[in-house]
Order: sequence, then C-alpha cells, then structure tokens
Amino acid sequence: MDRRKFIRNTALVSGGTIVAPSLIAQKEKWNPKNSLTILHTNDTHSNIDPFPETHSKYPGKGGVARRYEIIQKIRAEEENVLLLDAGDIFQGTPYFNRYGGVLEMRLMSELGYDAATMGNHDFDAGVEGFVKARSHAKFPFLCSNYDFSNTLIEGHTQESLVLSKGNIKVGLFGVGVELKGLVPDDKYKETRYLDPVDIANDRARDLKAQGCDLIICLSHLGYEYGSSKVSDRMLANKTRNIHLIIGGHTHTFLDRPTEEKNLDGDTVLINQVGWAGINVGRVDFRFDKKAFAKKEVLIVE
Amino acid sequence: MLKHLLYLCLGAGLLACSSVSHIYSSAEKVEVNDAYSQSTKIDSIVQPYRAELAAEMQEVIAQAEHDFFKDRPNGALNNWAADAALNSVQKESDEALFCLLNVGGLRNPISKGDVTLGDIYKLMPFDNEVVIVELKWERLQAIQEYLIVRGGEPVAGVQLVNQELIVNSLKAQEYVDEDGILIPVPNPKTFKVVTSDYLMNGGDNMTFFADPVNVQYTGNLLRDVFIEQAKQQQVLIWTDEKRIQL
Repeated sequence: MDRRKFIRNTALVSGGTIVAPSLIAQKEKWNPKNSLTILHTNDTHSNIDPFPETHSKYPGKGGVARRYEIIQKIRAEEENVLLLDAGDIFQGTPYFNRYGGVLEMRLMSELGYDAATMGNHDFDAGVEGFVKARSHAKFPFLCSNYDFSNTLIEGHTQESLVLSKGNIKVGLFGVGVELKGLVPDDKYKETRYLDPVDIANDRARDLKAQGCDLIICLSHLGYEYGSSKVSDRMLANKTRNIHLIIGGHTHTFLDRPTEEKNLDGDTVLINQVGWAGINVGRVDFRFDKKAFAKKEVLIVE
Repeated sequence: MLKHLLYLCLGAGLLACSSVSHIYSSAEKVEVNDAYSQSTKIDSIVQPYRAELAAEMQEVIAQAEHDFFKDRPNGALNNWAADAALNSVQKESDEALFCLLNVGGLRNPISKGDVTLGDIYKLMPFDNEVVIVELKWERLQAIQEYLIVRGGEPVAGVQLVNQELIVNSLKAQEYVDEDGILIPVPNPKTFKVVTSDYLMNGGDNMTFFADPVNVQYTGNLLRDVFIEQAKQQQVLIWTDEKRIQL
C-alpha cells in the first residue's frame, strides 16, 4: 500500500480514531466467520415482474426472479448473508389488488428473507388481510413501535430478533411510520403508534445487553423531512447503539449509505435503495473484535 | 509484511489498541437489470398468477359508444372520471359537494368498443384513494383561480362560468320569491371536495388543499371506483358538457 492511499484511508476513519489500513486492505485474508453481508430492499410495492421495456423511467429494471439470481450469487461468494426488507411490500401492481399480498409473501420466503418490517401500505388489505397474507411468509416481521394488542395482528409480529451468523451476533428490530392520516382508520383498526425514538433506544439497548455485535434497525419512517417529523436521519441522531438503519417509505435512492452521528458521537449508517425492487442494497461488515474492548468504532471504507 | 507490521504498530500506538473493537463497512448498490438472468424456479411460481391476471385484464366490463379523450378545458374523459368519483361517495342533498381531479392523472384514453378491466388499469395505474376534503368557503376562490390558470381540470358538480365557480348543489337551492326575485342561498361556512389523496397532499400544486377543516378517507381506490361505475353503467355515459368555460 502506498503512502497516499494510507493517508486517504485514515482520513475516512470515523469517530476521529486512526487505524492501520493493513487491517482494512486484507479482505481476502479476513476470517469469513467474522464477516457479514447485509442485502436489503424497501418499498418493493408488489413489483414482481420487471418494468416493461417501454417504461419511461425504469425500462426493463427490477423483477423478483432476477433479484433471486443476484442474491444467490452473493450467497455463493459470502459465508454470512442476511436478506432484509424495510416495508411497503404491498400495493402497486394488480398482483396485490387481485391476490392480496399472498404472492409477495410466497416469493420473499422463496428468496430467503431473514426479516422484514411493516410499511404503511402493508396495512392496505386491513389487519385481517395482512394476517392472511402473512401466513404465507416464512420469515418474521419486526415491528417494535406498533402496539397490536387489540388487533388481529397481535402475535404475528415480534419486537426484535437475534441471529448468529458465524462469529457475529446480530440484533434486529423494526420501526414504522405514524399511520394516522396516512392509512384509513379502519385498515389499521386499534393499532397504537408508539414513539419510534424511545422504542428504538429501548430495543437497541436490550440487544446490546444481549451481546449483539451489530444492531440493525429496519425502518419505514422515511429518510428525511423538512419538518419535525421523525425520519431516519433524526432517529440516528437521537439514539444510541444502532449501527445500521435500513430505511424506506420516501423511495430515496442512495448511492451509498449516509453517515450520521448518534448521541454518543458514534457513526450510524443509513441506507435506502429507491423502490420497486430496482436495486438491492448491499452493506458488508468485517469485525475485528477485541476481548475486553471498552469501545467499538465503525469504520467506513 | 514489514510495512504492514509498521502500520499495525503505528495503529496500536495511536489507539491503545486492545480497548477498541473495530467494525469495517463497505457498501454498494446492485441494480436489478438484464445483466442478471431470471431464475426459472422463481418465475415458475409467478407464472400461474401472471397468466390468470392477464386473462382477467381482458375481461370486458362495459361498452363505449364514443372515444373518451382527456382535454383542456373539457374532455369526455374528464367528465366521465369526475362524475364517477362524485357518484361513488354518499351525497347529502344540502351539502356543497363537488369533485376535482387532474388531467395529468388520467393516463390513457378509453377507446370506442369493448372496455376491458385492463383499460381501466391503464387509465388509472396509480393507487390513489378517493378522499372527501372539507375546506373553508374562502378556499373556493383559490380553486377558481387554479382552474383558470391551468385552463381546466376534470370537475363534476361544479361549473366555471364567467370566471366564477358555481357549485351546482347550491344553485339548485336558489329560489324565486313572491315578487319573482331570485334569492340565492347564503354561502355555507365550508364546502367538500371529492378528490384523490395524491391531489389532497398537494399533488399537481393543488396547494389549496393544505390545512383542511376535515378529511374523510373512503378506503376506495379511484381505480376501483372507475371499475365499479363502468360495470354499473354498462354503456359508459358520454357527455361533452362544457363545465369549464374560460
């Protein structure tokens, strides 16, 4: 490695710490058990087939059958892969209107999704419709700030999830957008919306206490607003212990994850990849765990 | 190797190494395009649904005896769409209620002949919901100005004549007194507009919908309302009524 590259790399180190670039450079020698690849989608909106070739904006883009090939290719290359979705699986093509989300759930199960959260449009078939479609899903829905206790959805989602991949323990939870005004009342019934910032802090703290090396928030709050409405950027700033927010709702196309600082001044990554399954987001992590470490630092390469 | 060791030592010195764990991250966006093949395994799951849907989209749900085009200031498609939306909501006779949609939102004409389910999906591919927005009476002025500036949008239950927007249901309540003088009804405090959630939220610069007195979500998609109305009408009602006179 030449000196100029060394300087450039160190300049990118987050949190003001300086690290030897040799640790970063030797990807091929890294123990695969200490590596983790996150693949993610958001706002796929029932776009099962690719857009038609005549489409004005995204001709021929997307499609679940292709998404599967991409995911399988990466799974063949990487030992530890998680596949996640940040909500709004439903609504957007006649597949949803006609089949109520069943096909979307079947396909996501076939693609091997590890977890998803609910977007506002995932209430479009009502609480009953969601439960019906959800029975075809072989993956958990993580909803931490919706209280479903007086609805049919009760028991069909969970507040958090811990998964072990190689040597890495991953903690996940999910937050959703306020439904009032966005979704007709009789669709979400007595679902109670709880403050996503408070809930995210609680869930992230619990997951850290459980020894999670990486904490991921699936969010359908939206990337950012020109108001006080809570967004992913705001969530990142007002919380602790979260490493990665996988966002949705605003259909934001990010070329690379946004870096924000949390309450402790640590780096939080936010990523979102548009909508309609046009892109699959990929974030790779490599862990250099030290015994008795007092602190951990997220470094963006 | 020596170099690497040197950097390691440098790093260790700066960090008091053992107290800090590191997580390195890198990212990329993978575009789903024709650089990748389509999985036949996945496609075989979709195929029966796709075939059934395609067949259903060809279902003839009504007939059209004319072509329905959208236009400004008026068009037969404008009138049909706005009438359909207005007819779909429960109307109370004494309410100042009308419908306002947008020309831009009508995405395809309906051609003379068979009208298929697919035709309505092409006309309205978006999942916009029919909403009833209650606004303060003063906002009528802003809608009037908007219609003049835009050169017309689809409306029902309202007319723009001599630069003035007249709500039909209120006009019907005018009455002639004993001396033969036309007495207009006093303006109500509010009026209600049937529109889509997209427009209510400021789509097509319809800023006059901001801060409504009340919003009623119908839970019905505009497209479903069109389908329902087409099925009821059997032969689509064609009118070239000049609702917007500029």
